[in-house]
This record gives sequence, C-alpha cells and structure tokens, in this order.
Amino acid sequence: MNYQPSDYLPILVQLGAAIAFIVATMLATHWLGPKRHSKLKDDVFECGIESIGDARTPISVKYFLVAILFVLFDVEIIFMYPWAVNFKALGWDGFMEMIVFMGLLLLGFIYVIKKGVLKWEK
Amino acid sequence: MLTISLILLPIIAGLIILLTKGDNPKTIASIAAFVELILGGYAYNQFVPNGSSQFGASYNWIASAGIKFSVGIDGISLILVCLTTLVVPFIILSTFGRTEKNAPTFYALILFMQAALIGVFTAKDIFLFYFFFEVALIPVYFLAAIWGGENRIKVTFKFFIYTLFGSLFMLLGLVYLYMKTPGLHSSAISEIYQIAEGLNGKQQGYLFWAFFIAFAIKMPVFPFHTWQPDTYVESPTAATMLMSGVMLKMGTYGLIRILLPIVPLGVQTWGTTAITLSVIGIVYGSIIAIQQRDMKRLIAYSSFAHVGLISAGIFSRTLEGLQGSLMQMLAHGINVVGLFAISEFIFQRTKSRDLSRLGGITQTTPNLTVYFVIIMLGSVAMPLTNGFVGEFLLLKGIYTYNVWFGAVSGLTIILGAVYMLRMVQKSMFGETSKLTQGFADLALHEKMTLFPLAFMVIWFGIAPNTFLPIIEPAVKQLLTIIK
Amino acid sequence: MNSIIALSLFGIANLFLGFLNNRKILMPATLAFILFALGLNLADWNTEVLWFNNMLRTNNLSVNFTTVILVATLLVVAISRGFGDDEEHSHPAEYYAIMLFSVVGAIMMVTFENLLMLFIGLEILSVSMYVLTGSDKRNLRSNEAALKYFLMGAFATGILLFGVALVYGATGSFSIYGIGNFVTENRMGQSEITPMLYVGILLIIIGLLFKVSAAPFHFWTPDVYEGAPTIFTAFMSTVVKTAGFAALYRLLSVSFVGEYGKWVYLLYFLCAATLIIANITAVYQQSFKRMMAFSSISHAGYLLMTVTSNQATTQSSILFYSLAYSIATVTAFAVMILVSENKTSNGKPDESFDAFKGLAKNNPLLAFALAVSMLSLAGIPLTAGFWGKFFIFSDAFKRGLILDLIVAVLMSAVGVYYYFKPIIASYMKEGNIQEITIKPIYKLTLIITTILTILLGLMPDLVKSIF
Repeated sequence: MNYQPSDYLPILVQLGAAIAFIVATMLATHWLGPKRHSKLKDDVFECGIESIGDARTPISVKYFLVAILFVLFDVEIIFMYPWAVNFKALGWDGFMEMIVFMGLLLLGFIYVIKKGVLKWEK
Repeated sequence: MLTISLILLPIIAGLIILLTKGDNPKTIASIAAFVELILGGYAYNQFVPNGSSQFGASYNWIASAGIKFSVGIDGISLILVCLTTLVVPFIILSTFGRTEKNAPTFYALILFMQAALIGVFTAKDIFLFYFFFEVALIPVYFLAAIWGGENRIKVTFKFFIYTLFGSLFMLLGLVYLYMKTPGLHSSAISEIYQIAEGLNGKQQGYLFWAFFIAFAIKMPVFPFHTWQPDTYVESPTAATMLMSGVMLKMGTYGLIRILLPIVPLGVQTWGTTAITLSVIGIVYGSIIAIQQRDMKRLIAYSSFAHVGLISAGIFSRTLEGLQGSLMQMLAHGINVVGLFAISEFIFQRTKSRDLSRLGGITQTTPNLTVYFVIIMLGSVAMPLTNGFVGEFLLLKGIYTYNVWFGAVSGLTIILGAVYMLRMVQKSMFGETSKLTQGFADLALHEKMTLFPLAFMVIWFGIAPNTFLPIIEPAVKQLLTIIK
Repeated sequence: MNSIIALSLFGIANLFLGFLNNRKILMPATLAFILFALGLNLADWNTEVLWFNNMLRTNNLSVNFTTVILVATLLVVAISRGFGDDEEHSHPAEYYAIMLFSVVGAIMMVTFENLLMLFIGLEILSVSMYVLTGSDKRNLRSNEAALKYFLMGAFATGILLFGVALVYGATGSFSIYGIGNFVTENRMGQSEITPMLYVGILLIIIGLLFKVSAAPFHFWTPDVYEGAPTIFTAFMSTVVKTAGFAALYRLLSVSFVGEYGKWVYLLYFLCAATLIIANITAVYQQSFKRMMAFSSISHAGYLLMTVTSNQATTQSSILFYSLAYSIATVTAFAVMILVSENKTSNGKPDESFDAFKGLAKNNPLLAFALAVSMLSLAGIPLTAGFWGKFFIFSDAFKRGLILDLIVAVLMSAVGVYYYFKPIIASYMKEGNIQEITIKPIYKLTLIITTILTILLGLMPDLVKSIF
C-alpha cells in the first residue's frame, strides 16, 4: 500500500464540512433566535427549589475521593470484558493472570478501606 | 618498590596524623619527612647513572583502557625526587615556631603534597602523571586557603582555577595522543613518545600550546604569572615554600618530560616564542622585584625571574641548557625555601615584612645574617655556590641557541644581585628600627632549618659533581629522543 | 527482571506496613526491600532473557544500569528521615511505596525491548515523581513545582508518544531491534525511508531530552529541583537521570544507529548548548539547591557527549559517570538537608551557600563529605568524578567531537568556580554552626559514599572492569 498525500483529501473535505456546519448552526441560532430576558428565563432550573449562590462553591474533598475511586475501580473492571470474551482462548494462563490482577485490585481496595477513605465521618 | 614506598610513606604518615589526632603532629610529620629523606638518599646512592629508568614498579590500574600505575626513577626524576625529599623536612622544621590551628590537618596536607609531588616526578604513565599533577593542587590549595592571610580566599581561588584551567587543556592533549596508540591503547610515556613521532607539524603545534599553557601557568612564565605573587604572599609560608620550592618544578619537569620529547616539531616552530616569553619574564620579574618593599613579594618575583631562566634554558634544547636547568631547579628549590624561611622567621619576630621598617637585625643575630647572606649569594649565583653552576650552564645553553637571548638573559645576574643585595641590606643592616629592637636570636629549630640549607648551598656549589654525572646521561638520552 | 516484580510487591507491602503503629520500621524495611531487589537483579548476571512476549530484555547492560539505579535509591532512602515528624500530615509509608514504584518504572526504562514498555516505564517514573515533588503539601513552592513538572512532563511524554507512533508508522515495528534492522536494511538501499521516521526520531529524542533536562528543554529543572523536598530532589537528579540516559542510549545505539549521520548533529549542538547554558547560569546562583539543579543540567551535557559519540565504550562511560555522579549528588544533598534544617532563615530552611559558613569547625565529617562530593562533581582527580569525565572525553575523542570537547573543558573550569563556593563557605568562612547530631545510619551513609567516591577515584577499575 502506498498512500499519496492527495489520498487524504476527502478527509480534509469532510473535516471542513463538519466545522462549517457547526459554525453555521451556531451563528444561525444566534442571529435567528429572539432574545427575551426575564428572571424566570435566566434561572438555572425552571422548576424545583430555587438555586442559591454560585455553582463553583468549594465541595468537601471527600466527594472527589469517592468519585475518583469509583472511576478507578470502574475502569479496571473494563479489563474483564475482553478477558471474558477470550476466556477459553487464553486458558489457564489467562485465568492466573486475571487472578493476580484481581488480587492486586483487592489489595488496593483493602488499603483504601483501612486508610479510612470511605469513612464519611471520623 | 623503592619508588612506591617513596610515594606511600608520606601518605601513610599523613593518615596516621589525621586518624590518631596525635598531640604532636609536628614530630610525626618531621620524622616521616626525615625517613623519606633517608629513602631519597638511598635512591641516590643506589642509582646507576645511565639513561635508564630504575626502581620501577608497574601495576594494572585501568586494565580495560591500558592505563598502568607505573613509576620509576631516571636521572631527571632523581634530581627532583632528591629536591623534594631534601626540602620538605626543613619546611616542616621551619614551622615549629608557630602553633597552627588544626595542626594535624596542616601537617597531613604537607605530607600528602609531598607524596603527590614525588608521584608527578616518578610517573611513567601520562595519565598517572596528570593524576598526580592535579592531585598536588588540592593539598596546597587547602593549605593556602585555610591558613593563609587576609585575602586568602580570593587569591587562592584564582590560583586554583587558573592552574586547573591550564591543565585541562593538557588533559585534552594527552587523551588525543593516547587515542593514537594502537590496539587497546596504552598510556605509557615511552609508547606516547613513539606515537608522537608520527605527528605532523600542525598537530604538534596544537599539542605544543595545549601542553605549554598548562606548564607555563604552573611555573609560571610571563604572561601567565598573575596568580603567583599574590598567592605566594597570602599563603602560609610553609605552603609558599612548597609551591615555589617544589611545585613550580612540576611545570619545568613537565616541559622536559612531556613537551620536548613529544612535540619536537612544535617546539621548533614555537620554541622561539616560548624563549621570548621566558626572557621577558626574567627581565620583567627582576625589575619588579627591585621595587618591592614586601620581602615575600620580592622573593616571589625573584622566583618568577629565575624560573624564566630555567624555562629559556630548557627551550634552548642544548645539552648545557638542559643540564643547567636541572641543576638550577635543584638550586633554586633550596635557595627559595631558605629565603622564605628567613622571611618567615623575621616576620614571626617583628610581625612585618616591610623592608623599609626592618633593619639592623644583624646587630643582635649575626647567625641569621650569615645564613641569609650565604643563601642570598646562592640565589644570585655567586661562584662556589649552588646557583652558579646551574645559571652558568643555562646561560651557556641559551647563548648557543641565540646570542641576543643569551645577552638579555645575562641581565638576570646583574639585576638579581641588585634586588637580593638590596633586600639583605635593608632588612639586616643599617639602623635598628622600632620593630627590630630586641630581635631574639635563632631558636634551635630555626638553626636546624637554616644550617643544612646553607650547607647545601655551599656544598653543591663546590661539588656540583654530586649531581652532574647523574644528569648528563639522562639529558643525553633525552636529546636523542628529541633529535 | 525479577526485581521489577519484587519491587512492585514490596511497594504494596510498604503501603500496608504503614498501618503499623511503629513507623520506625518503615525505613529499615524499605532498605531491606531494595537490598533484596538488588540481590535478585544481580542474580540475572550473564543471562540474556526476553520477557513477556519480547517486551523486556535482561542482559548485563540492563543489570548494570539497574544496579546503579538501585544503589542510588538505596542511598537516598538511607538519608531519608521519615518525611517529617508531623504525625497527622506525613505519610512515610506512601512516600516510600511511591519511591519503590518509581524505581520499577526506572528499571523498565533500562530493560525495555518494546517502545511501549519505554513509554509505560517513563510514565510510571514520571507520575510518581510528580506526586513526590508536591509531597510538601503546605509549601507553595512545592505545589508550584509539582504542577509545573506535571504540565511540562505530560507535554513531553505526549511528544515522545507521538514520536513512537511515527516511528512505528515508518518502520512497522515497536521492537528496538526490529526498528534497528529496518533502518539498517533501508540504508542498504532496499527501500525508501519516509521522512516520517526522522520526525519520529526527532520527537523521541526531544521527549527523552526533556526528562534528562538537557538544554533547551531544561527550563523546568531549577524550579522543580528547588521546590521539591530535598530528599526527592536527590532522588530525581540521580535515578531519573540515569534511567533517562540509559533509555536514550539504548534507543540511539540500537534502533537509530543506522541513521547516526542524521541525529548526531542535533545532539552535537545540544550538548554544547547544554554545557554552556547550565554552567554559565550556575555561576550566578545564590541557592545551593538551585546550583545543584544547574549542575544536574550540566552533567546531562557531559553524558550527552558520550551518547553523541556512540562508541563501543559509551555504555560503560555512562554507567561509570552516572554512578560517580549519583553518589556525589546524594552526598551533597544529604549534607545540605542536615545543614539547612539546622539553620533556618525566616522559619524556612536556609538553602543558600551562606548556610554552610563555618561548617568545618564543629562538623568536620559533614564538611569533608561535602568537599569530596563537590570535588567529584567538579571532576578533580582523586575522586570518581574525574574518571567519569576522563572516560567521556576519551569517547568524544574517538569520534572527534572537537567543538564539544573544547566547550566541555572550558565549562569544567567554570564548574570548579561554583562547586568551590560551598567548600570555601564551609572551610574558610567564619560561621556559627554548632555540632549537628547525626543518626548512625545517616553517618554511615555519608562515610560510605565519601569512601566510595575516593576509592573509585583511586581505582576506577573496580567497577569499570564490570561495566
């Protein structure tokens, strides 16, 4: 296979078209849409309790820790999908490797619990 | 084995002083230095005066790179080994009158310095030579920078960087030559001599400057001398004696051992330039010395002038010039140590080295006057003193090379007589000044320092044959390599 | 190779050791772990094995580099002192664990066979270093340093990865030998080389030069070195540098040696630029730590010189130089930690040269260790640093890198100027430093490093014959 730079031209055209579409839509809504402001219109939510203060208030770092831990374990679990699909092909070797992987993950989990990260109130 | 023990003995003694923190480091140091002197004397006694290298020893140092720890003594080395072993005991003796702070380190450093110097003079491998050449800087730097005078930090630092800078270029030159050796490379000096024969004039020209700058800074030759007077003045006198008496001979020794045989073509091209610089140094140093009021500074400039003569003699590449340079290295080492010792003794009593404030010392201490005059006469090359033999040969050598250079160099005798006599006259004779009243007579250790030095001044003057038969075959051997 | 597995497990073990009430056990345990890993590593001597489907390769070269890295880590751990006495806010177990993990990354960088492993090793090492740099949480400078290091480092890693991708695109291989074969075969004229390969090589070189902080990619170094806690500065300047140069050397000498004529000019000038910039700037520093940062850059310049010359002896030169440099650097930082903590100005540790004033009077051991390490860094004979420089100059001479050599010699002389500042301050200036109490293990480490530096200065063949 020998690609010439000219072979990539369609991609460029596609890219240009995509950008043009986005720009055109944004500009169109900006120009075409009517602009009316009222207290209700500018509210963050149109229903429910009234919002108080700024959206960027400091939040306890514990939320972030839990969120990060969730993402961490969540992502690592994704490894199991391809493994499960190829379970038979991988055989015992694959099984042992997954055991090691899960063991490490478990150790990490124990560490997190012992460290008291998930304890909400100390 | 003898050479190895010459190098190791001071190191071991120094370590003993440091580790035991003995109450009397002076005694241990001087005993070690005298044992070293006996070893040096033994080497002199056993030495067979031919061109060969003797008492050799060789061990693998960096086997994979063909670098060996190989040492040996030939005629040229022997002269400098004798000088080192002769001078160091008296340097140590001369310090007995002072109590230094942190004395064990002080004396250990002097001994380490001695070991490094002997290493330089006996090395038969270029990298071993370079190794010792640089290592010698460290103890003397610390000696000068810790125990020196007020301005010591700045001055000694300048000295260190200056000399290191020069020798780095020498390292480049040496590595260049080393890379030219066949096979796995070898850095034996004899092998390097052979390799150097294959170099053309241009390569030798570059190498000449790489080496010449390193040695010229060490000696020092005009215009690389600017570190010297300040360093000599600011250093404690023991360090000054080591520098002027022995360390600067590393430079002249390097010229003879490295520069002349390796780059004869380079010397042919640039030798005249080198001699011109040396001769300028002679005249320049002498004229400045005449105007000095500070004794130590005066001696420093006189030393600068004398070394210019030695260097000019070496670059004349004549038998007489080289013989003379070796004789003069020995003589100059002894004389300058003596002169600095005397200036130190006077300073200890009067707290001054200012010639205009001294005078009349001879009335209370005729002893000191006698020694001073003898050593001074040696320094101005009076016949029947050690300086005469060397200077005569040197001037003859330079004269053979070029009449005009010879004539200008000859000024050294006249100018030397002027500043030396002026120094003796101003300090010893005349009216007693406030400072010199009640000048105490020489103490035992001072007599023990000055008497042997003065004795050597006369002995080597009457019997130059103590060393000439050793020098001659070695120099002839060297000349065959050069030609 | 086994040392990678062992160190990963030890790192986890370290985390759990932190739950014990007795914190004093952590440091000895970490030392024991490292020693054990060192033993495992040495057991691989004279065996050439490819691991994990040709991902890693252990041979004598990798064993040597791993040894240097582990020795440096051992020394750094030995001079660490529990990372703060504050019970609540210090996490010694975690820091030791992260250090062990980062060593895993460093070892992967010296054993990689596949470019992806290089990337992973580099990331493990770098991410750990970002954390450790910011470990002094209450200190603004430390935070700033960590953020700066992270942003710049992430950028450099991206560039490196892009380079890897391009090289893969051009050669169709991730294996360093595969790439090497492709490049040399194409040199024989069998097919064309796309310019993509050269761009890839350029980007990889840039990414790695950033990690070893060579000019002009060095701007993060002084700030990060100064901001990071000193103990991690010592770690950074020894382990990261050694691993980075090992990786650079392996890539250039195995994969891209066929294109030597193309990349040599880049390195040739960068080497000279690094030496000049680092040494000249170092002269103007007032802070010891900042001076050490520039000194680290300048040593990258010397190491770059031997990489540029690409001789058969280059690997042993890099090894010897890294070892000599690591030992001396750790010693210098160890002394600095003691002195600066002892002497505070405005409540902060004093890290300027003035802090060393009068050190020799009541602390002869510290002053001597400092002096020896400075002499070694300056490359004065009698110390290991001299032979390091000597071997590097020899390599450069074989290749005839005259410009670099002359610059290097001039800059060595400049180097002496700033390396002597602490020596002068400690030996020749008056000061009022009382006797500093030193823990036995700390003292032992200082004595060992000092003796090693002098021993290697007297007999370089002790290790040179192995490397």
